[in-house]
Amino acid sequence: MRDKSLETKLRVLTLQLDNWNKLHDLITYGLDKAKPIISAEQERQLTEVRAYLLQETEYVFKQLDILGELSGKAMNVLQRVSSVRGVRDLTNDEIRRLEMEWNGVFTKLGVVQGQLKARRKELASQTAFKYYFSRVFRRPAMASS
Amino acid sequence: METRLLILNADPVFQDKALAIFDTMEAVETRIVRTLSEAVAILLGESFDAFIIEGEAALAVEQGTNARQHFPSLKIACLAPHLRENEAFTITEQQNITLIFTTRNQLRLEHRLKNFVRSLERPSVTPAEGIDPCHSLIGNLNQFSAAEILQMSCLSQRSGRFTFKSGRGNSEIYLQHGSVRHAVFGSLEGESAVAEIFRWRQGRFYFEEGIISQVQTVDRPWAHLLIDNLQKLDETLELVSV
Repeated sequence: MRDKSLETKLRVLTLQLDNWNKLHDLITYGLDKAKPIISAEQERQLTEVRAYLLQETEYVFKQLDILGELSGKAMNVLQRVSSVRGVRDLTNDEIRRLEMEWNGVFTKLGVVQGQLKARRKELASQTAFKYYFSRVFRRPAMASS
Repeated sequence: METRLLILNADPVFQDKALAIFDTMEAVETRIVRTLSEAVAILLGESFDAFIIEGEAALAVEQGTNARQHFPSLKIACLAPHLRENEAFTITEQQNITLIFTTRNQLRLEHRLKNFVRSLERPSVTPAEGIDPCHSLIGNLNQFSAAEILQMSCLSQRSGRFTFKSGRGNSEIYLQHGSVRHAVFGSLEGESAVAEIFRWRQGRFYFEEGIISQVQTVDRPWAHLLIDNLQKLDETLELVSV
Protein backbone atom coordinates (compact mmCIF):
# COMPACT_ATOMS: atom_id res chain seq x y z
CA MET A 1 0.00 0.00 0.00
CA ARG A 2 1.00 3.60 -0.50
CA ASP A 3 0.87 6.27 2.18
CA LYS A 4 -0.15 9.61 0.71
CA SER A 5 1.68 11.80 3.23
CA LEU A 6 4.83 9.69 3.01
CA GLU A 7 4.86 9.99 -0.78
CA THR A 8 4.33 13.75 -0.56
CA LYS A 9 7.21 14.09 1.91
CA LEU A 10 9.46 12.05 -0.36
CA ARG A 11 8.49 14.15 -3.37
CA VAL A 12 9.27 17.48 -1.72
CA LEU A 13 12.43 16.12 -0.15
CA THR A 14 13.71 14.82 -3.49
CA LEU A 15 13.16 18.23 -5.07
CA GLN A 16 14.89 19.91 -2.14
CA LEU A 17 17.90 17.59 -2.35
CA ASP A 18 18.09 18.15 -6.08
CA ASN A 19 18.41 21.89 -5.46
CA TRP A 20 21.04 21.41 -2.74
CA ASN A 21 23.03 19.33 -5.23
CA LYS A 22 22.77 22.01 -7.90
CA LEU A 23 23.84 24.63 -5.38
CA HIS A 24 26.85 22.50 -4.46
CA ASP A 25 27.89 22.15 -8.12
CA LEU A 26 27.85 25.92 -8.53
CA ILE A 27 29.71 26.55 -5.25
CA THR A 28 32.37 24.00 -6.26
CA TYR A 29 32.75 25.70 -9.63
CA GLY A 30 33.07 29.09 -7.94
CA LEU A 31 35.77 27.81 -5.60
CA ASP A 32 37.79 26.18 -8.37
CA LYS A 33 40.49 28.73 -9.15
CA ALA A 34 41.53 26.71 -12.22
CA LYS A 35 38.28 27.75 -13.90
CA PRO A 36 38.62 31.50 -14.30
CA ILE A 37 35.47 32.19 -16.32
CA ILE A 38 32.16 32.60 -14.51
CA SER A 39 29.41 33.07 -17.05
CA ALA A 40 26.23 35.10 -16.73
CA GLU A 41 24.35 31.83 -17.29
CA GLN A 42 25.94 30.29 -14.18
CA GLU A 43 25.04 33.35 -12.14
CA ARG A 44 21.47 33.07 -13.44
CA GLN A 45 21.35 29.38 -12.48
CA LEU A 46 22.59 30.16 -8.98
CA THR A 47 20.00 32.89 -8.52
CA GLU A 48 17.30 30.46 -9.68
CA VAL A 49 18.39 27.68 -7.33
CA ARG A 50 18.68 30.13 -4.42
CA ALA A 51 15.21 31.48 -5.17
CA TYR A 52 13.71 27.97 -5.05
CA LEU A 53 15.56 27.13 -1.85
CA LEU A 54 14.65 30.38 -0.12
CA GLN A 55 10.98 29.89 -0.98
CA GLU A 56 10.72 26.22 -0.12
CA THR A 57 13.28 25.35 2.55
CA GLU A 58 11.22 26.40 5.53
CA TYR A 59 8.05 24.70 4.27
CA VAL A 60 9.86 21.45 3.45
CA PHE A 61 11.76 21.34 6.74
CA LYS A 62 8.51 21.95 8.61
CA GLN A 63 6.84 19.08 6.76
CA LEU A 64 9.74 16.83 7.70
CA ASP A 65 9.91 18.04 11.30
CA ILE A 66 13.51 19.21 11.03
CA LEU A 67 12.91 22.95 10.91
CA GLY A 68 14.57 23.72 14.27
CA GLU A 69 17.60 21.59 13.52
CA LEU A 70 18.39 22.75 10.00
CA SER A 71 16.78 26.11 9.38
CA GLY A 72 19.71 28.14 10.76
CA LYS A 73 22.36 26.23 8.84
CA ALA A 74 20.40 26.38 5.59
CA MET A 75 19.85 30.13 5.89
CA ASN A 76 23.54 30.71 6.65
CA VAL A 77 24.51 28.85 3.47
CA LEU A 78 21.97 30.70 1.34
CA GLN A 79 22.98 34.10 2.71
CA ARG A 80 26.70 33.49 2.23
CA VAL A 81 26.28 32.22 -1.34
CA SER A 82 24.98 35.37 -2.93
CA SER A 83 26.72 34.80 -6.29
CA VAL A 84 29.28 32.46 -7.87
CA ARG A 85 31.72 35.37 -7.99
CA GLY A 86 31.00 36.13 -4.32
CA VAL A 87 31.90 32.54 -3.38
CA ARG A 88 35.30 32.97 -5.02
CA ASP A 89 36.01 35.99 -2.82
CA LEU A 90 35.24 34.22 0.48
CA THR A 91 38.08 33.77 2.98
CA ASN A 92 39.34 30.27 3.85
CA ASP A 93 37.54 30.37 7.18
CA GLU A 94 34.26 31.33 5.57
CA ILE A 95 34.67 28.60 2.94
CA ARG A 96 35.26 25.98 5.64
CA ARG A 97 32.19 27.14 7.57
CA LEU A 98 30.12 27.15 4.36
CA GLU A 99 31.20 23.61 3.53
CA MET A 100 30.42 22.39 7.05
CA GLU A 101 26.98 23.93 7.06
CA TRP A 102 26.10 22.72 3.57
CA ASN A 103 27.30 19.26 4.56
CA GLY A 104 25.21 19.34 7.75
CA VAL A 105 22.03 20.11 5.81
CA PHE A 106 22.80 17.62 3.04
CA THR A 107 23.64 14.78 5.44
CA LYS A 108 20.47 15.25 7.46
CA LEU A 109 18.30 15.40 4.34
CA GLY A 110 19.97 12.26 3.01
CA VAL A 111 19.32 10.41 6.27
CA VAL A 112 15.65 11.47 6.31
CA GLN A 113 15.27 10.41 2.68
CA GLY A 114 16.70 6.99 3.53
CA GLN A 115 14.29 6.61 6.44
CA LEU A 116 11.30 7.57 4.30
CA LYS A 117 12.33 5.16 1.56
CA ALA A 118 12.71 2.37 4.09
CA ARG A 119 9.22 3.15 5.41
CA ARG A 120 7.84 3.11 1.88
CA LYS A 121 9.39 -0.29 1.24
CA GLU A 122 7.93 -1.58 4.48
CA LEU A 123 4.47 -0.27 3.55
CA ALA A 124 4.67 -1.70 0.04
CA SER A 125 4.65 -5.21 1.49
CA GLN A 126 1.50 -4.54 3.55
CA THR A 127 -2.12 -4.48 2.52
CA ALA A 128 -4.31 -1.59 3.65
CA PHE A 129 -6.28 -3.96 5.93
CA LYS A 130 -3.15 -5.33 7.61
CA TYR A 131 -1.82 -1.80 8.13
CA TYR A 132 -4.96 -0.44 9.83
CA PHE A 133 -5.51 -3.65 11.78
CA SER A 134 -2.02 -3.42 13.29
CA ARG A 135 -2.54 0.29 14.04
CA VAL A 136 -5.73 -0.39 15.97
CA PHE A 137 -4.04 -3.01 18.15
CA ARG A 138 -0.90 -0.92 18.64
CA ARG A 139 -2.91 1.92 20.25
CA PRO A 140 -1.75 2.59 23.83
CA ALA A 141 -4.20 1.72 26.58
CA MET A 142 -5.97 4.82 28.01
CA ALA A 143 -6.24 5.23 31.77
CA SER A 144 -9.84 5.31 32.94
CA SER A 145 -10.95 7.32 35.96
CA MET B 1 5.45 -2.51 -15.28
CA GLU B 2 5.55 1.07 -14.02
CA THR B 3 3.99 3.96 -15.88
CA ARG B 4 6.49 6.79 -16.07
CA LEU B 5 5.22 10.36 -16.03
CA LEU B 6 7.27 13.48 -16.56
CA ILE B 7 5.54 16.40 -14.89
CA LEU B 8 6.32 20.02 -15.66
CA ASN B 9 5.30 22.22 -12.78
CA ALA B 10 7.02 25.52 -12.06
CA ASP B 11 6.02 25.42 -8.40
CA PRO B 12 5.74 21.79 -7.35
CA VAL B 13 6.50 21.92 -3.64
CA PHE B 14 3.56 23.66 -2.04
CA GLN B 15 0.17 22.00 -1.72
CA ASP B 16 -0.74 20.55 -5.08
CA LYS B 17 -3.87 18.49 -5.68
CA ALA B 18 -2.79 16.68 -8.84
CA LEU B 19 0.68 15.76 -7.61
CA ALA B 20 -0.81 14.44 -4.38
CA ILE B 21 -3.13 12.20 -6.45
CA PHE B 22 -0.23 10.88 -8.51
CA ASP B 23 1.59 10.14 -5.24
CA THR B 24 -1.11 7.67 -4.26
CA MET B 25 -1.22 5.77 -7.55
CA GLU B 26 0.30 2.32 -7.55
CA ALA B 27 2.89 1.49 -10.22
CA VAL B 28 3.29 5.11 -11.28
CA GLU B 29 6.70 6.75 -11.25
CA THR B 30 6.74 10.51 -11.47
CA ARG B 31 9.60 12.85 -12.21
CA ILE B 32 9.08 16.55 -11.68
CA VAL B 33 10.81 19.34 -13.53
CA ARG B 34 10.35 23.09 -13.30
CA THR B 35 11.18 24.32 -16.79
CA LEU B 36 10.35 23.25 -20.33
CA SER B 37 14.02 23.16 -21.32
CA GLU B 38 14.74 20.78 -18.44
CA ALA B 39 11.81 18.63 -19.58
CA VAL B 40 13.00 18.50 -23.19
CA ALA B 41 16.52 17.53 -22.08
CA ILE B 42 15.09 14.64 -20.05
CA LEU B 43 12.68 13.54 -22.79
CA LEU B 44 15.57 13.32 -25.24
CA GLY B 45 17.48 10.95 -23.02
CA GLU B 46 14.79 8.88 -21.32
CA SER B 47 11.55 7.21 -22.17
CA PHE B 48 8.33 8.41 -20.51
CA ASP B 49 4.76 7.28 -21.07
CA ALA B 50 3.39 10.79 -20.85
CA PHE B 51 4.35 14.40 -20.35
CA ILE B 52 2.08 16.37 -18.04
CA ILE B 53 2.16 20.14 -17.89
CA GLU B 54 0.60 21.79 -14.90
CA GLY B 55 0.05 25.50 -14.56
CA GLU B 56 -1.85 28.50 -15.87
CA ALA B 57 -4.04 27.48 -18.81
CA ALA B 58 -2.58 29.66 -21.54
CA LEU B 59 1.03 28.93 -20.59
CA ALA B 60 0.41 25.19 -20.18
CA VAL B 61 -1.23 24.96 -23.62
CA GLU B 62 1.61 26.95 -25.17
CA GLN B 63 4.22 24.70 -23.57
CA GLY B 64 2.26 21.61 -24.63
CA THR B 65 2.13 22.86 -28.22
CA ASN B 66 5.85 23.56 -28.11
CA ALA B 67 6.59 20.07 -26.79
CA ARG B 68 4.35 18.50 -29.45
CA GLN B 69 6.52 20.01 -32.24
CA HIS B 70 9.52 18.12 -30.87
CA PHE B 71 7.88 14.88 -29.74
CA PRO B 72 5.12 13.93 -32.19
CA SER B 73 4.14 10.60 -30.64
CA LEU B 74 4.35 11.57 -26.96
CA LYS B 75 1.16 11.61 -24.90
CA ILE B 76 0.77 15.13 -23.54
CA ALA B 77 -1.72 16.39 -20.98
CA CYS B 78 -2.29 19.91 -19.66
CA LEU B 79 -3.59 20.32 -16.14
CA ALA B 80 -5.05 23.78 -15.82
CA PRO B 81 -7.51 25.46 -13.48
CA HIS B 82 -9.81 26.69 -16.27
CA LEU B 83 -9.71 27.61 -19.91
CA ARG B 84 -11.74 30.49 -21.26
CA GLU B 85 -10.62 30.98 -24.84
CA ASN B 86 -12.12 28.75 -27.50
CA GLU B 87 -8.94 29.11 -29.48
CA ALA B 88 -6.98 27.26 -26.81
CA PHE B 89 -9.51 24.41 -26.94
CA THR B 90 -9.02 24.17 -30.69
CA ILE B 91 -5.24 24.12 -30.26
CA THR B 92 -5.33 21.28 -27.74
CA GLU B 93 -7.54 19.27 -30.08
CA GLN B 94 -5.33 19.94 -33.08
CA GLN B 95 -2.17 19.09 -31.18
CA ASN B 96 -3.69 15.97 -29.63
CA ILE B 97 -3.22 17.28 -26.10
CA THR B 98 -5.45 16.02 -23.31
CA LEU B 99 -6.94 18.78 -21.23
CA ILE B 100 -7.76 18.19 -17.57
CA PHE B 101 -9.23 20.85 -15.33
CA THR B 102 -7.89 20.99 -11.80
CA THR B 103 -10.81 23.07 -10.54
CA ARG B 104 -13.02 19.96 -10.53
CA ASN B 105 -13.74 18.50 -7.13
CA GLN B 106 -11.13 16.13 -5.69
CA LEU B 107 -12.97 12.91 -6.57
CA ARG B 108 -13.67 13.88 -10.16
CA LEU B 109 -10.11 15.05 -10.65
CA GLU B 110 -8.80 11.81 -9.17
CA HIS B 111 -11.08 9.80 -11.45
CA ARG B 112 -9.97 11.77 -14.51
CA LEU B 113 -6.27 11.42 -13.71
CA LYS B 114 -6.61 7.71 -13.05
CA ASN B 115 -8.37 7.26 -16.37
CA PHE B 116 -5.60 9.15 -18.10
CA VAL B 117 -2.91 6.99 -16.47
CA ARG B 118 -4.88 3.84 -17.30
CA SER B 119 -5.00 4.88 -20.94
CA LEU B 120 -1.19 4.87 -20.95
CA GLU B 121 -0.80 1.28 -19.85
CA ARG B 122 0.70 -0.82 -22.59
CA PRO B 123 1.95 -4.36 -23.00
CA SER B 124 5.61 -4.69 -22.07
CA VAL B 125 8.02 -4.43 -24.97
CA THR B 126 11.18 -6.47 -24.97
CA PRO B 127 13.82 -4.46 -26.76
CA ALA B 128 16.49 -7.14 -26.64
CA GLU B 129 16.46 -10.11 -28.91
CA GLY B 130 18.79 -12.74 -30.26
CA ILE B 131 20.83 -12.56 -33.43
CA ASP B 132 19.01 -13.91 -36.43
CA PRO B 133 21.00 -15.00 -39.50
CA CYS B 134 18.72 -12.91 -41.73
CA HIS B 135 19.72 -9.70 -39.92
CA SER B 136 22.50 -8.23 -42.02
CA LEU B 137 23.17 -5.35 -39.63
CA ILE B 138 22.60 -5.21 -35.87
CA GLY B 139 23.50 -2.55 -33.36
CA ASN B 140 22.69 -0.22 -30.49
CA LEU B 141 21.28 3.26 -30.90
CA ASN B 142 23.50 4.62 -28.14
CA GLN B 143 26.52 3.83 -30.31
CA PHE B 144 25.11 4.76 -33.72
CA SER B 145 22.24 7.16 -34.12
CA ALA B 146 19.36 6.36 -36.48
CA ALA B 147 20.52 9.21 -38.75
CA GLU B 148 23.99 7.67 -39.09
CA ILE B 149 22.88 4.17 -39.95
CA LEU B 150 20.16 5.34 -42.34
CA GLN B 151 22.63 7.64 -44.06
CA MET B 152 25.06 4.75 -44.50
CA SER B 153 22.37 2.42 -45.85
CA CYS B 154 20.90 5.01 -48.21
CA LEU B 155 24.32 5.91 -49.59
CA SER B 156 24.97 2.25 -50.38
CA GLN B 157 21.59 2.00 -52.19
CA ARG B 158 20.19 -0.70 -49.87
CA SER B 159 16.69 -2.19 -50.02
CA GLY B 160 15.20 -3.76 -46.92
CA ARG B 161 13.64 -3.17 -43.57
CA PHE B 162 15.11 -1.50 -40.49
CA THR B 163 13.49 -2.45 -37.21
CA PHE B 164 14.12 -0.23 -34.17
CA LYS B 165 13.24 -1.53 -30.73
CA SER B 166 13.31 0.52 -27.56
CA GLY B 167 11.35 1.09 -24.37
CA ARG B 168 9.13 3.46 -26.37
CA GLY B 169 8.04 0.66 -28.70
CA ASN B 170 8.98 -0.81 -32.03
CA SER B 171 9.23 0.99 -35.31
CA GLU B 172 10.11 0.08 -38.85
CA ILE B 173 11.65 1.95 -41.75
CA TYR B 174 11.59 0.42 -45.22
CA LEU B 175 14.24 1.36 -47.75
CA GLN B 176 14.15 0.85 -51.48
CA HIS B 177 17.24 1.50 -53.60
CA GLY B 178 18.62 3.91 -51.04
CA SER B 179 15.40 5.89 -50.43
CA VAL B 180 13.03 5.72 -47.51
CA ARG B 181 9.74 4.29 -48.82
CA HIS B 182 7.70 3.68 -45.72
CA ALA B 183 8.05 4.30 -41.97
CA VAL B 184 5.76 3.30 -39.16
CA PHE B 185 5.80 3.81 -35.40
CA GLY B 186 2.61 3.01 -33.50
CA SER B 187 -0.10 5.12 -35.05
CA LEU B 188 2.41 7.38 -36.80
CA GLU B 189 3.30 6.78 -40.40
CA GLY B 190 5.54 8.43 -42.94
CA GLU B 191 7.76 11.40 -42.18
CA SER B 192 6.46 11.90 -38.65
CA ALA B 193 7.51 8.33 -37.79
CA VAL B 194 10.99 9.01 -39.25
CA ALA B 195 11.19 12.21 -37.18
CA GLU B 196 10.35 10.26 -34.03
CA ILE B 197 13.03 7.62 -34.62
CA PHE B 198 15.64 10.32 -35.20
CA ARG B 199 15.29 11.33 -31.54
CA TRP B 200 15.83 7.90 -30.08
CA ARG B 201 19.08 7.56 -28.16
CA GLN B 202 18.46 4.15 -26.63
CA GLY B 203 17.43 0.84 -28.08
CA ARG B 204 18.46 -1.73 -30.65
CA PHE B 205 18.12 -1.94 -34.39
CA TYR B 206 18.57 -4.54 -37.08
CA PHE B 207 18.34 -4.56 -40.85
CA GLU B 208 16.81 -7.29 -42.98
CA GLU B 209 17.91 -7.17 -46.57
CA GLY B 210 15.35 -7.49 -49.33
CA ILE B 211 12.09 -6.88 -47.44
CA ILE B 212 10.16 -4.31 -49.45
CA SER B 213 7.03 -2.44 -48.40
CA GLN B 214 4.03 -2.34 -50.70
CA VAL B 215 2.89 0.81 -48.96
CA GLN B 216 4.55 4.12 -49.69
CA THR B 217 4.17 6.85 -47.09
CA VAL B 218 7.40 8.78 -47.72
CA ASP B 219 8.08 10.31 -51.09
CA ARG B 220 10.85 12.80 -50.43
CA PRO B 221 14.52 12.09 -51.14
CA TRP B 222 16.58 10.90 -48.20
CA ALA B 223 18.81 14.00 -48.26
CA HIS B 224 15.78 16.28 -47.70
CA LEU B 225 14.49 14.11 -44.86
CA LEU B 226 17.91 14.08 -43.24
CA ILE B 227 18.36 17.85 -43.42
CA ASP B 228 14.84 18.58 -42.16
CA ASN B 229 15.07 16.16 -39.27
CA LEU B 230 18.54 17.24 -38.23
CA GLN B 231 17.30 20.84 -38.26
CA LYS B 232 14.33 19.84 -36.07
CA LEU B 233 16.69 18.04 -33.73
CA ASP B 234 18.89 21.14 -33.54
CA GLU B 235 15.83 23.20 -32.67
CA THR B 236 14.97 20.74 -29.90
CA LEU B 237 18.52 20.92 -28.55
CA GLU B 238 18.40 24.71 -28.72
CA LEU B 239 15.32 24.61 -26.52
CA VAL B 240 17.29 22.56 -24.00
CA SER B 241 19.98 25.22 -23.80
CA VAL B 242 17.51 28.09 -23.24
